[in-house]
Amino acid sequence: MKREDFLREPVVHMKLNSKMTVNEFIQQFGNSGCFGAGRLSTACDIFERMIRDDECTIFLAIAGAVVPAGLRTVISDIIRKKLVDVIVSTGANMVHDLIEALGGHHYKGHWLVNDSVLYGYHIYRIYDIFVPEEDFTKADVAVADMFDEIAKESNSRTLSSHELTREIGARLTDSKSILRAAYEANVPVFLPAIRDSEFGVIYQFHMKKHSKDKILQVDAFKEVPEIIEIAKKSPRLGMVVIGGGVPRNTIQHAAVTVGKGLDHAVVITMDRAETGGLSGSTLEETVSWGKVKKKAGKVMVIGDALIVFPLMVAAVLERLGDKFVRRVK
Amino acid sequence: MVKTRMILRKKSKSKNRFCGNCHYHNMYEYPDLILCSLRYQNSNDFIVPTLGCCEKWTPDSQECFCVEEAMKKRNKNSVEHCKE
Repeated sequence: MKREDFLREPVVHMKLNSKMTVNEFIQQFGNSGCFGAGRLSTACDIFERMIRDDECTIFLAIAGAVVPAGLRTVISDIIRKKLVDVIVSTGANMVHDLIEALGGHHYKGHWLVNDSVLYGYHIYRIYDIFVPEEDFTKADVAVADMFDEIAKESNSRTLSSHELTREIGARLTDSKSILRAAYEANVPVFLPAIRDSEFGVIYQFHMKKHSKDKILQVDAFKEVPEIIEIAKKSPRLGMVVIGGGVPRNTIQHAAVTVGKGLDHAVVITMDRAETGGLSGSTLEETVSWGKVKKKAGKVMVIGDALIVFPLMVAAVLERLGDKFVRRVK
Repeated sequence: MVKTRMILRKKSKSKNRFCGNCHYHNMYEYPDLILCSLRYQNSNDFIVPTLGCCEKWTPDSQECFCVEEAMKKRNKNSVEHCKE
């Protein structure tokens, strides 16, 4: 590279005004092109590109407590608008979706609190969110009843996690629910680490009431060929990751297994690469595994997903306009 | 989250035995009603009063405010009832 190649694009200073839309604001970030602002602007461009690519299957990974914190409706809305095709989530996020679908709430709390007092009052804390134990208990009972019913209807047939979430979604009435929206939009919801959440406790509730032959059977490996098949059928693959962990690698694993690698990737995380953990691993590192293509449109936004993701969705929705209908071949 | 921890058989600081200070209690309607996970397994009526008790009572390993708050509420209600 020559010297002038390093000095092609000057920083354009942001200009703000009182009438700016979200997308106009993000475009100012793009003018700067630096630090988190530049990365967020790039993330919007990549997300828009994957939506407009009618041969791209878009996977959304959800990890970290973003559903109890307020992203529930944002996620169910983009599912209904068909802006994502496959959800891969932690079990916990879907449990929190169920808590609200079944009448419970999450409350604005504080991180500076005496947690022993919260324990005494049967209140759980997720950083600065409070959840009353009774909302968990009521959801446990209701979902365990669903497990009873699903087990009975499935006649000992083993289900994958996405078959189970579909059955649960079919039994909900809350239109804001992620699982209900996914059921209605026919978007599969995979929970590769389902037992590592309240679902494990609910399963125990269900299991203790029934003889072995009447217990719900869920096979964690059954979904492996299912998600691979989705990736195989799609000419191009896109991924938006909130957090990382098991959901992110489940998508990356599917992409590498079919020998394609991801064409578009946006990762929103605050984790660091130095520990070697997957959530903080850079997308360049992911290229070394063949999980993301070398020439993929890719960006990692280091920031709080509760700020970054809604901004990204709002900007892209504005770019697409109200009449936009996504067509996927 | 329903408690699944090991039962620690230590003496409860509470003088009286109530469902609300039993190991198997999970809050259902604070502070009056709790879900008894033991009764749930046996499909009995599993929503029980915090100030109830049964022969399967097992001390809880950590104290919470259920009993105290349920008692306060009961006493307040009885005082109001007397005033009427």
